[in-house]
Amino acid sequence: MELFKPEFGLVFWMFVAFLCLYCILAKWAWPFIIKSMEERADLIDKGVAYAQEAKAQLDNAKAEADHLVAEARQQQADILRDASKMRNQIIEDARGEAAVEAKKVTDAALVSIEQAKKESEKQIRREVSEIALQIAEKVLRKSVASDQAQRELVDKYLNEVETQN
Amino acid sequence: MAWGYVDAMHDSKGQMEKPNPQEIIFEHLGDAYGWEVPFMHSKRIPLPVIVRAQDGSWHMFLSSRLEGGANYQGFELAHGGDYNNKVVQVLPDGSQYRPVDLSITKNAAGIIIAALLVIAMVFKVRNWYKKNGMKAPRRFTAALELVVDFVYTDTIRPIMGKEAPKYGPYLLTAFFFILTMNLLGLIVIFPGGANLTGNLAVTAVLALATFLVTNLTGTKHYWKEMFWPEVPTALKCPVPLMQVIEIFGIFTKPIALMIRLFANMMGGHMVVIVFMLLIFIFGSMFGVAVGGGMTVLSVALSLFMLLLDTLVSFIQAYVFTILSTMFISMAHVHAHAESAPEAAK
Repeated sequence: MELFKPEFGLVFWMFVAFLCLYCILAKWAWPFIIKSMEERADLIDKGVAYAQEAKAQLDNAKAEADHLVAEARQQQADILRDASKMRNQIIEDARGEAAVEAKKVTDAALVSIEQAKKESEKQIRREVSEIALQIAEKVLRKSVASDQAQRELVDKYLNEVETQN
Repeated sequence: MAWGYVDAMHDSKGQMEKPNPQEIIFEHLGDAYGWEVPFMHSKRIPLPVIVRAQDGSWHMFLSSRLEGGANYQGFELAHGGDYNNKVVQVLPDGSQYRPVDLSITKNAAGIIIAALLVIAMVFKVRNWYKKNGMKAPRRFTAALELVVDFVYTDTIRPIMGKEAPKYGPYLLTAFFFILTMNLLGLIVIFPGGANLTGNLAVTAVLALATFLVTNLTGTKHYWKEMFWPEVPTALKCPVPLMQVIEIFGIFTKPIALMIRLFANMMGGHMVVIVFMLLIFIFGSMFGVAVGGGMTVLSVALSLFMLLLDTLVSFIQAYVFTILSTMFISMAHVHAHAESAPEAAK
């Protein structure tokens, strides 16, 4: 059977064709294709690694930003608390100071009132004694001879009046 | 393939003749000096016949010169006998002499077409890389690249390791050449239709190539394993049992490659033709109506077989490549870290 007997001509042409094909492809095509494919695979691998790294960095950055925001919030809260404390302090201080000042003013006023009262009492007393003296002088001109005796008498009466009051 | 036969049937004025399946099958599977014009069984595309006559002179002419049993420059097509359907030289004494025949037959032309197709396809991929650098290819180029990647990155490189770039070109060439020839054989009309890988001459050359690459590049250790394997001395010393087995193995491996590819492809083609012939066999036995009814079944079965053959084309090309890869890589063994001392002596 022809099929099972390799024909020399066909073997020859097959050999020639295969050899030529191999030489052409092995010289100009395959090494270049293999190299390019491997380069591209490397490139893609690198790209993936880069993307993963970038993503990790992005995640990191986000966490960092969150951390910063939290910190800022904390600081803000602290500052607010401090401020509120300080405000209270100031108000408290002011209040105390005002009280002290007010007390001082009141005290001074009281003192001056007391003084004025005493002064006016003295004056009144003097004027009253004067008037009384004049009245008494007029009344007693005749009965009371000396001034000294008259004055003592008046004083005695005034003291009586005062104790009565 | 069956088209030609259908046409031949028409030629005989609608008369159902008793078909001769064996003749038809071998005509379709075998080689020829001309190439059937699509859908016209009787017309042939002439191909060059190149023969060396008995006196040592070379003759070259178109195969159309020999059509219809004509004699040209003393050559004609033999009918019957040892040289059935081959060009023979008719000597003056009337005896037939089979000249050295380097004709571009149908199969040889098919091989050349397949080689050109492979070159075109591979250079398409190469040119894409040349032009577009690292961009991903599209369409057909992408499909080709996928196959290259599948064969090289997933098969050759894991087996060969560091030596992959050195032997990759041979293995890839073999793979694409076989695949192209397999698929061309499945196409029924002109650029295809030649039963290339279903021909022992073709697969023999391919197997021979693997044989040569394996044994010419084998390492010292490979040959040492061959002639002084690390087995108990009794197995190798007085009677060289292991050596005989190993040396036998050198030859059985490529022969298995040759037979496997040949048988798979030829078998596939043969089954398709037989299914088609069933129409005519049934027709001649039980009448035209039965033959016509058989058509549906035959075409369905043939179609199924052709689809299966498409798969087989790929698988066989792949199997040839992966086995070649393994044979070559096995010939590249290096002593296992020199740990096994010079053995059981």
